[in-house]
Amino acid sequence: MRQAWIQSKEALRLRMIQPQQVAPGEPEAEMPPYMESFLAHLRVLVGVPFEYLVPDSRLLPDESIRFFFLDRSWADRVVDGAIAVGKIGTREQAHHQAHEPAIRQQLDITERIVRSIQMQLGSFANLKAVNDSNPATNGPADVITGFILRSAAVSGWPQMDVRAYSTDIPEPLDPSSADAQNAQLRTLRLELLSPSVMIALFQGIPALVTLEEPHHGVQFGVEPVFGGFQIDERHANGTQILVGVAPNQVSKTVFAPVRAANTRVLSITSLRRALFTAQNSDATMPKQTGGASLAVEVLNPPWRQRFEGTKDNRGGGGQQSSGFLSSLSVAVRVAQPATKAALQTAIQSEVKP
Amino acid sequence: MSDEPPQGQMYLYDNITPPLLDGSYRFNVSTDTTIDGADQNLPGATNYFNVEGPRFTLTPSLVAGVFPPRNGHGSFQDNIPHIALSRRTLPWERALDPSGLIGIPTAKQGDPPRPVGPAPWVGLLLFEEGEYTILQNQKLEDVVPSDVYKRLGSPANINCDAVQTTLPILNAIMPSLDELTVLAHVRQVNKDDRELSAGSADGWFSVVMSNRVPEPNSKCCACLVSLEERSDVIAKDPPPDFAPIRVVAEAPVAAAPAAVSRLAVGGISRGQNILQVNPFPFQINVSLVLLYSWKFECIGPGSFRDLMQGLDVAFFGTVANPGHPPVADTGHIKISLGDRAGVEETVMYRSPLVPFQLTRDPLGPYHSADQCRRVTPETGAEDVSYACAFEVGRLLAAADARLAQELMRWRREGYRQSARADTFSAVSATLPLVQPLDVHTPAIPVVATSATSSMLNGRGPAADRFGVNFIGNVIGLQPAAVQDAWQLSTPQEAENILGGDAGTLGASVVAPAATPRPATTIDAVAADAASLNNLSSARDRLIANAAQKVGGTP
Repeated sequence: MRQAWIQSKEALRLRMIQPQQVAPGEPEAEMPPYMESFLAHLRVLVGVPFEYLVPDSRLLPDESIRFFFLDRSWADRVVDGAIAVGKIGTREQAHHQAHEPAIRQQLDITERIVRSIQMQLGSFANLKAVNDSNPATNGPADVITGFILRSAAVSGWPQMDVRAYSTDIPEPLDPSSADAQNAQLRTLRLELLSPSVMIALFQGIPALVTLEEPHHGVQFGVEPVFGGFQIDERHANGTQILVGVAPNQVSKTVFAPVRAANTRVLSITSLRRALFTAQNSDATMPKQTGGASLAVEVLNPPWRQRFEGTKDNRGGGGQQSSGFLSSLSVAVRVAQPATKAALQTAIQSEVKP
Repeated sequence: MSDEPPQGQMYLYDNITPPLLDGSYRFNVSTDTTIDGADQNLPGATNYFNVEGPRFTLTPSLVAGVFPPRNGHGSFQDNIPHIALSRRTLPWERALDPSGLIGIPTAKQGDPPRPVGPAPWVGLLLFEEGEYTILQNQKLEDVVPSDVYKRLGSPANINCDAVQTTLPILNAIMPSLDELTVLAHVRQVNKDDRELSAGSADGWFSVVMSNRVPEPNSKCCACLVSLEERSDVIAKDPPPDFAPIRVVAEAPVAAAPAAVSRLAVGGISRGQNILQVNPFPFQINVSLVLLYSWKFECIGPGSFRDLMQGLDVAFFGTVANPGHPPVADTGHIKISLGDRAGVEETVMYRSPLVPFQLTRDPLGPYHSADQCRRVTPETGAEDVSYACAFEVGRLLAAADARLAQELMRWRREGYRQSARADTFSAVSATLPLVQPLDVHTPAIPVVATSATSSMLNGRGPAADRFGVNFIGNVIGLQPAAVQDAWQLSTPQEAENILGGDAGTLGASVVAPAATPRPATTIDAVAADAASLNNLSSARDRLIANAAQKVGGTP
């Protein structure tokens, strides 16, 4: 009888000395969707307990914001650990060893849709198909940066708008403009870790991070000061009246008295008188004819907080920051995109006869 | 009307009045005709019609939006509540005080001209929890005083909702006549504007603002009330302003705290005029016709702006009090760890959030947490950061049953294919294949074809049948190697030592040329009757021999 071409013993020997793995490009090597999605979530630290992120509570005191770079090796180890489940011998290790570069490359791409998955913008398969075929998103891994914020503002303003830009765009900043859109960094994660702690991850190194009060259409408001309130004087088109020399301009304010009988009730008559007096010396303010001109003055557009990196912060100690340093905070009051445009152009105050 | 504003912009108007106020109208028609100088007037006619609009109730669909949001929780203490109504003329469809009972506000020095246009008949009042009671489905005559009811025209069988409060509270918050006028305006936005024009078909809104700012940490109810003919509660002049004591410079030291504490109570103390009217003002209840109301809760920490400006901004790893905890240059902190021997140990740990950019570890993958442990040479302390990361990932994955299944499936697919690939490589090492094997295509046809062709081709004639060439490769039998090893001058010497000339080992044998065989076909074989006969007779012979051996007949 003729011998078989290959004996099982020989096949085993070959397998032991040089195990052949299925090529990463083969369909069998592709990760199952659930697994890919799970690992991509781990990449942006979804589910990682808070104590591992902030090992000491003093690293994130109350009312603080801490910017950071994400340690990619750390995230890679989390993924390694997840794949280690069910790894009982050399067979699994050899398999993982052979596939790790391909997995890492794929997760570098898939981690960009984790936020879309969390926002339930579509099924994983659809999002992945679009993401994988888009030349803008299927490139190699980028630096991940972000911030962690512990503040009462997190619970008070749950729909806060958070954006990061690669260039320091000066005010007026319109997030919907083409310039801003091009400079905006992809938000990889924006989530509350607890009612008062928020984490954000961006792809790339930002030069400007903005936190914006959520929009509720047109708002009216006042600022509390001693003995009453104050409002910012506004031009007839709704923009603030600024005094001083740029960039140290401050808004000009008018004191809004309150009633003696209830100090939360604005004395509208006195406020109108004050505005009338101010208008006499500044013709750009609307004439106090009635409701519309008062409404312009008490407009209260959402607040946008800007965190800007200093231009050069190298050599200042052991830690170099590549220019991404949040040592300076400048705040400028701006309008929401829609309202802001409204305010920049004229709000025509007419009185119908 | 004027054109729409562009998207993202809005126009504001002080007011928009309807051509006719709500009410009952009579029109008389008389036609004066003159024929040849003589009056020939046609008979006149009188007709009646009503202009009707919301009066004691308001359809909720007319409310386009409110702020603060209905049942909203948030930091609204710096916001002025307002309501947007989707009918631009609604606040001016009725006269507030047609008979002028309120009077004309007193003009003071420096006052602006009185606001242009009529006062609205609605007002937005903000009440805090405990200051109001909402009564539903009340008879109108129970809600408004009798003289107001009479001035309203004594409409019968009207039921409405009402908000009840006490007179001092109402007096403190009710806007005066001119304040009411300026607290309402009209807004026009582009009707395609998604953000500004929510819920309006034509882009027009009338907006009524409140004059009261919500108290922090309070539950509030904003009430849109009808103030038609309510000259009993609307003052022509606003009550006095609160005069803050900014600097108590000359006041006696003892008096200053008293003044401050009195202010802190809330300043209701100035409502003296009410005390003169009635000794128990807090028991006088006032009701107003309630058109719409919504509640919200003002909780929260102050304004967004103040919070943002007050943030402590730094890179991760910065601590307020340096050294508590000590953070290494590398961002590591010390933590305590019970090692596997149960011994307490101080180790270094760094979270994935680091204050500077790190290069990515290229030494992946790691297969166990121990593989990720590191020791820093300077301190001898162990760095468990990545080992922790590994364990976190492992525990998170192990907690997910479905992931374990998917991992098994992923591996199983891989193993199946890789086992095939291994078999294929063993096969291709043994058998010359006509084409490479592929794990995705059936292998049997390729192997069968290769086997057949290798049988057809044969192994070819054997070269070096006796292994002479092979022996010649033995190093001691090569003249050149011997010469080199023994430093001989010529190769001939080496040959002599090896036992003579090169012919001793025999000439090198080359393979004889293969016998050329014409390509043949099945048809040609079938046509060769002589050969087939030979084969057939040989077969018969063999069968006969075999039959003889076993002792039977074929």
